[in-house]
Amino acid sequence: MSSGVAVDLENITIRFGDFTAVKDANVNINGGDFFSFLGPSGCGKTTILRAVSGFLEPSEGRVLIGGNDMAGIGPNKRPTALIFQNLALFPLMTVWENISFSMEVAGASAKERRRRADELLDMIALPGQGDKLPSELSGGQKQRVAIARALCANPDVLLLDEPLSALDLKLRQHMRTELREIQQRVGITFIYITHDQGEALTMSDNVAVMKSGVIDQIASGHEIYDHPATPFVASFVGENNVFRGRIKSIEGGEAIISTNRSGDLVARITPAEIGKLSVGDEAMMFVRPEAFEVAPEQGGTGKNLVSAKAVNEEFEGNSFSVFLEGDGGKLIKMSVPNLGQDRISTRGHDLTLRYEPSNAVVMRAGELASE
Amino acid sequence: MKRNLPFSEFFRNNGPVMGSILIGLVAFWLIFLILLPQLSMLDYSFRFNLPPADVGGPKDVYTLSNYEYLIYGSDESKQSFNTVDLKVFVRTILAAMVVTVFNIVLCYPLAYFLGQAKGAGVARLFVVLLIIPYWINEILRAFALRIIFGETGLLNEALMFLHLASEPIDFIRQDVALYAGLGYAYILLMLFPMYNVIESLDRNQIEAARDMGASWVHIHRRIVIPHAKPGIASGSTMVFMLSAGALAAPQILGGPSSLWFTQLVYQWFNDSLNWQQGAAYAIVLLVSTIAIVLTFMRVFKVNMGDIGK
Amino acid sequence: MSSATLIRIALGAYLLIFFSYLLGPLVVMSLTAFNSSAFPSVSPWACFTFEWFGVLFEDKHIRDGLFYSVLIGIGTVLLSVSMGLAASIVLTQVWPRFRSTYYTMIIAPILIPGVVLGISTLVFWDRVGRFFGAEDGSFFYELFHNGIFLTILGQSSFIASYAMLVFVARLQRFDPGLTEAALDLGATHTQAFRKILLPFMRPAIASASVLAFLASFENYNTTTFTIIDYKTLTTVLAQKVRLGINPSISSLAFIIITLTVFAALIFEAVQRNKSRKDAMRQGRLKPGRGVLPGFLRGNPAAIILVLLSFFVIAMVGTAQSYSPEQCKIRVKEARQIEIQKRIEALQKARAEERAKAAEEAEDAVPAAPSPSNSGAFGNVFAPGNLSGEEESEAVPEPAPQGGSGAFGNVFAPNNLSEDTPDEPEAPQGGTGAFGNVFAPDNLSGSE
Repeated sequence: MSSGVAVDLENITIRFGDFTAVKDANVNINGGDFFSFLGPSGCGKTTILRAVSGFLEPSEGRVLIGGNDMAGIGPNKRPTALIFQNLALFPLMTVWENISFSMEVAGASAKERRRRADELLDMIALPGQGDKLPSELSGGQKQRVAIARALCANPDVLLLDEPLSALDLKLRQHMRTELREIQQRVGITFIYITHDQGEALTMSDNVAVMKSGVIDQIASGHEIYDHPATPFVASFVGENNVFRGRIKSIEGGEAIISTNRSGDLVARITPAEIGKLSVGDEAMMFVRPEAFEVAPEQGGTGKNLVSAKAVNEEFEGNSFSVFLEGDGGKLIKMSVPNLGQDRISTRGHDLTLRYEPSNAVVMRAGELASE
Repeated sequence: MKRNLPFSEFFRNNGPVMGSILIGLVAFWLIFLILLPQLSMLDYSFRFNLPPADVGGPKDVYTLSNYEYLIYGSDESKQSFNTVDLKVFVRTILAAMVVTVFNIVLCYPLAYFLGQAKGAGVARLFVVLLIIPYWINEILRAFALRIIFGETGLLNEALMFLHLASEPIDFIRQDVALYAGLGYAYILLMLFPMYNVIESLDRNQIEAARDMGASWVHIHRRIVIPHAKPGIASGSTMVFMLSAGALAAPQILGGPSSLWFTQLVYQWFNDSLNWQQGAAYAIVLLVSTIAIVLTFMRVFKVNMGDIGK
Repeated sequence: MSSATLIRIALGAYLLIFFSYLLGPLVVMSLTAFNSSAFPSVSPWACFTFEWFGVLFEDKHIRDGLFYSVLIGIGTVLLSVSMGLAASIVLTQVWPRFRSTYYTMIIAPILIPGVVLGISTLVFWDRVGRFFGAEDGSFFYELFHNGIFLTILGQSSFIASYAMLVFVARLQRFDPGLTEAALDLGATHTQAFRKILLPFMRPAIASASVLAFLASFENYNTTTFTIIDYKTLTTVLAQKVRLGINPSISSLAFIIITLTVFAALIFEAVQRNKSRKDAMRQGRLKPGRGVLPGFLRGNPAAIILVLLSFFVIAMVGTAQSYSPEQCKIRVKEARQIEIQKRIEALQKARAEERAKAAEEAEDAVPAAPSPSNSGAFGNVFAPGNLSGEEESEAVPEPAPQGGSGAFGNVFAPNNLSEDTPDEPEAPQGGTGAFGNVFAPDNLSGSE
């Protein structure tokens, strides 16, 4: 297996007629990384993938794989292999013919191809299934055949276009682990496209979050979760309560925001905005549901306290989701861990919620991810 | 996700070799087999029928005389209009329309019956039975009708035997055989498009309408026929065009005194060896039939995309 | 009687009429193939005979026509299927805005009258031929005036549209991702086409080829213009049917019908067998035990197919030994008297016809023959003429044609006699222009 090769996108812009699908994207992917593009459907992530695999040329900018400019090189000449969203297994070929297709077009003998296909079948834990047709396999098995087929071409970079989206939840979770294992074993660069943040966060070394053609943030999973760069990232990755308002004062890394409905609140300025935020700016503050807790002293006022009335409650197994209504009908969600029987129902109570200012982030106002 | 790849990327998507082959084949078809032949026929129709020596010479100029002939006849003729040929033309168009309507009426009930049976049991047998005559040569089908409608044919024998006729009826001279033959020749081109669209009609719609108290007539008028419209349009277009352009059936089943317009074209080409005149007649046939089809498509609000489905 | 019963009866009657109209003529035509009467008819029934099949197999024109039909059919299949496939692939990739215009362009040939297509092909390639070499004999001139070449082009121009429709239906179910996957795995575009798209399209290519071959084989309107000095089966048949009816055509029709029925039954039987096997594999159907072998069970088409095969084998066997001689002699004698009567009646009609035709012919302009000259043309279709032309099969010398116009001679008997040079029959004197059709010797003459 070849070792990881770096992929660089330099100022990539891709237009279809008047429509700009990708706008000035700059991404450096380290060799051997598991890198994800995360974003809602239609954000341009698949377009980027097609530019890397060679199915389309960017209108502007360069794609570099291992430092080589890929301009004018077709998909069949690039050291990439793509796993399609619907897998695109060849329905009329057997499993082993599918896997060894890249060798067939390169002119390898049938014996050689069969041997290699059997090796790969062993690797994906489907020994002896080579003579079946793809239609005779289960969803997870097809998934693994598609991976084997892509790996058979000995690519430097493996591109995956939402390959798990068609699987059911259990299988999807299982395949996440498996994909990550395969990636670590073969050591090549994986570029993964998904709209599922769970997939992106669990598997990736780095994630790029995209919104309508623009990359909002590139960082590791937990950084994106804890230090979102834009309101879009904050609202798209994980759940968040958003408080809108204006910056009242700034002190060190913290800012006080006078919110529209919940009074003055304090929060840490997100790293990307430090030094850029000034008093009077329209801003948004985000507090995750699990960052709230019921304040030990009820009825107090403070810059990290929010009063609200619990209106509903949902049991989630490991936690409860409590839905509250604050002043002016402001909706707030709080997540309370399920600690067993000694839990008190909060429904109908007026509560004061508390959070650690370091667990809340503030940034300039912007577009949110639509639910 | 179905992507509509921009056509400018055609060569990129198909590769230079396959792209050239694909474009080359389509271009050959559309340009060398359709467009240029039609244009050169059009060009021919505006020329004089000259002996080979004069072709390209000073006498080889454009003229409207071939079209004038269809309307006014030859100079020597005493009539002001070429009534004979014009009559043939009008008769051909009208008869093709009648044949089309006849086929719609005859096919609709069967298309509905087969379409709603959805390929079960008997309906499946019917479809096989329908396809068999479709595979038999057009000439042979006309021949079969000739055996039946001939002077000593089965129909006359039967009528005489039953004493319904005292002497043989000349079905051929009366054009009965011709109309029956034209209706017969293209009936399946009406049936199958209709059948295909009616088959796609959800039975529940009919049930729902009936549930709401609609009469059968109302159900067909408001639900089945609007749904079947593309199929009816497709079938009608094909039957009309093919009937108006038919040659075999009129040659075999036509009466001695009544010609079909295509026969005139045939005679100009093969008997009189006046290609220019024949080309002019062919252009008239082509343009007028297409104009009629387009008019009807506009009146009934049908798209070209429905044809051939 | 309830209205439901009434509807049922009406539906039954309607179906009966519809299928009689559709199938009746074919049945009648098939039956005439076995009647020894020289004119194709079922009534009066003379003798059951296989002799018309013999006449058919002896006919050189039919055999030549068949050969050229097959040759042209193969050429047309190759050209129209590749053009149709290319056109359908381009349709899936063409700019969305241009798509409906493009679709109109590639569907239009279906709607252009075949006559027009034939003429335009002839005219265009004649011009191209002259452009390449004006004098006769140059290669291109010959090629572009070659009936086979022109017919393949003329037929392909619209048969490609039929093929295209077949391909479009199948392509709608093709996942373009498969081609991309192949490219991504290192295949060239040509390899991706050959290994991915072509295998997927194979069933459609097969049905389009069958369709194209049948359409080519059947075609008359276009072919009659482009074939020039060759013949196809259809043009031979058209000529025969127009000029002289003979039950050997019925016997050809019978063979074609039988083959068609066989093909339809085989197709149906295979389909049912396949769905039965699918049902069995999915466990919906248990492989039960019975007297019949597996593929016959629950498969009426297969049963009919087997029975029909037995019937055809039996018939061919009978034909080898069966001789209707005795019957024919009886019929001959019995009809002698009747024939004499009819001859007289026909002679009278013929005389009237001639007088009439002569009258009309006077109106004709001999210098610029007009197709409206129906009087001259009409001779061909005159009832008396029909029998008159049949006579010409036996008489290898021109019989006088009353009032033939300028193109009446196209249909003159000497043309016909070329069609049947292997008829050694001598002229039958005395019975008038058409009497010998019914002459007894004529019947035995073909044996």
